[in-house]
Amino acid sequence: MADFISRISVVCFAASYAVGLAFEATRLWFRSGVRGVTMVGFVTAGLLAHTLYLVWRAATVTALPLSSAFDWYLLAAWLLAAGSLWMTLSNPRTPVGLFVLPVVLGLIGAAELSSREPFPQSPATQTWGAIHGSFNLLMSVAVVLGGLAGGMWLIQAGRLARKQAPLQGFRMPSLEKMSLWASRMTVVAAWAGGSGFLSGMILNAVNRQRGLLEIVPWNDPVVLRMGALVTWLVAAAVISRLLSHRPEGRRVTALLSLVSLVMLTASILWGVLGPTQHGMPPRQPAVAAPLAGGAA
Amino acid sequence: MSLTFAGGSHHTVPIELRERLAFSAEQAADALDRFRREFPGNEAVLLSTCNRVELYAAAEQRQGPPPPDELAMFLAECRGVELAAVSSVLAGDRGPAAVKHLFSVAAGLDSMVLGEPQIVAQVKQAWQLAVASGTTGPLTGELFQAALRAAKRVASETALGRERLSIPSVAVADFAAGVFERFDDKRVLLVGAGKMAAETLRYLRDAGARDVRVVNRTAGRATELATRLGATAGRYDDLAAELVAADLIVSTTGATEPVVTLAAFAQIEAQRQGRPLVVLDLAVPRDFDPAIGERPGVWLYSVDDLGQACEANRRRRQREMPAAWTIIDEETRRFMGDLHHRSTVPVIEQLRAGWNETGEAELDRLFRKLPDLDEAAREEIRQAFSRYAAKMLHPPLASLRNESHAGPPHGLLDALRRLFDLKD
Repeated sequence: MADFISRISVVCFAASYAVGLAFEATRLWFRSGVRGVTMVGFVTAGLLAHTLYLVWRAATVTALPLSSAFDWYLLAAWLLAAGSLWMTLSNPRTPVGLFVLPVVLGLIGAAELSSREPFPQSPATQTWGAIHGSFNLLMSVAVVLGGLAGGMWLIQAGRLARKQAPLQGFRMPSLEKMSLWASRMTVVAAWAGGSGFLSGMILNAVNRQRGLLEIVPWNDPVVLRMGALVTWLVAAAVISRLLSHRPEGRRVTALLSLVSLVMLTASILWGVLGPTQHGMPPRQPAVAAPLAGGAA
Repeated sequence: MSLTFAGGSHHTVPIELRERLAFSAEQAADALDRFRREFPGNEAVLLSTCNRVELYAAAEQRQGPPPPDELAMFLAECRGVELAAVSSVLAGDRGPAAVKHLFSVAAGLDSMVLGEPQIVAQVKQAWQLAVASGTTGPLTGELFQAALRAAKRVASETALGRERLSIPSVAVADFAAGVFERFDDKRVLLVGAGKMAAETLRYLRDAGARDVRVVNRTAGRATELATRLGATAGRYDDLAAELVAADLIVSTTGATEPVVTLAAFAQIEAQRQGRPLVVLDLAVPRDFDPAIGERPGVWLYSVDDLGQACEANRRRRQREMPAAWTIIDEETRRFMGDLHHRSTVPVIEQLRAGWNETGEAELDRLFRKLPDLDEAAREEIRQAFSRYAAKMLHPPLASLRNESHAGPPHGLLDALRRLFDLKD
């Protein structure tokens, strides 16, 4: 069994998701009685392989489980793939996969371009590191879901404004549902983003105080882009809240959510391709060599 | 073993004559009872809807069921309509054409509203009535099961029955449901008592709408309509307040001027606190100023807007026709293949029985000559004989099966009967 799991690769589940997406895309051209089942089958198979792969990674890496940039992106992709499958099963006529699976594949692609080395850790900062990573993960998933909901709101609103009947096999969720998702995810993203940034600052402060690991400077590109993103998310949540009782409030929330998704995408691309000290091992041996000693 | 049908539909029979030919459930049961007496050994199913009257008959015997003209005469006699009046409009067919016709009827391809789903239920009811009357049998059983299967395939593999065609259904399912996720927490306001109000409300009720207000210039008419529709009546003078409280408005007044102008709407807009508003303006001339539809959060649809969506749906249904006919052709071929194969069953059974009988006799003789064989060896020999018989019979049976796809394999059946001395 362990041998079987160890042979699962990123290509296995990425290919399953890609085939699932291809089946979902055929909704636009023709109807089929078996397409839905086939699409769900491929996504389920992909999710199963994805799960086993993450379990295997968590079990075989000696550091804190799933603590590399590579694992972080794969975990975000897993959450979105699971959410996509759940939404497809509960709303079979809505082409959820058409919107979510490209993001899942994009995150898997980002994972492939990222380092598989665990972030440097010491027992003293492991908890803050985990909190920091978890909040950022929650923020990213919330931004993606909110952005997709906002995008779908705009497509649906455009169709309703043009007074067109829904396309065959392409029935979008109602404006009410998408609006609710977009506004809720905007709030969740702002809270999670703020908490992630704050926990990152604490993590950095602990490292600085104890001289444990590499300090991330304030002008580090990752700090700057995350700071900008979090500031935007908080502003978007506030604007969305202030306009919630105005007729144009829902459209503004949808647009803000979509812009947040664009900013997150740009931020990820920058993070994958640009230079940073964030999450890097120390350039010189740490003072107390905590990892080797096993205790701080 | 064959099938026939006779009858008429909205394509050829004028409505006055359709009304005279139509059967109630009791009349249909009486007619089937009479059919059983007049045509013993035949199976029959009578399909009578507001748009068609058709009698399907089948028989296992070689002489087959009554021909279409005899069935048409039977229908006319049952309804007391003179044959001369219907002979030019009633038609029929037999064999694969009759099968294909029934399949197309069940799938809604022959309906007045293309792809309408009610016909499937009517075909089922006709079948159930025939079962209750005792006029069904294995042939009509398979025929109607296959018809329902064809209808199901057309419904699931094409979009023929999915596009809505009536203005109220399009208004609710394609537009109001695009804005609102649920209707049970929404206030519906009916302004006026036009003929489309009740039908639109029926679709809204199906979608979950509970809180419905009715306002009308004539208070008594509003109260009467509210009572009839299970809604509450409001005062026409309070229309502005009703507009503030409403989430969805269905307007069907007979007013010649707009009932709600842009200026009037602007006065109450702020009080709505940004809640979305769907307005289905089904009145001609329109009750709502079209400029209201340009306001953020307002989704205003007129009869023309909805009519265009209906027309687009109708065109989409039309585009599905080739795919639907392909399914009907496939199912007809499949059914006829099965039917023809059925006619070969007695010959196949006789052939197998003859081979088995000869094999058993030879085995008995062999075992008497070799009394020392143990039971395991005997069993091995029995199985070898059985395999041999199966292998020898396989080519002729496969040829029969293949021939069945093209039509009744009379030539092969006769050859087998003569070669193996089988009884007819």
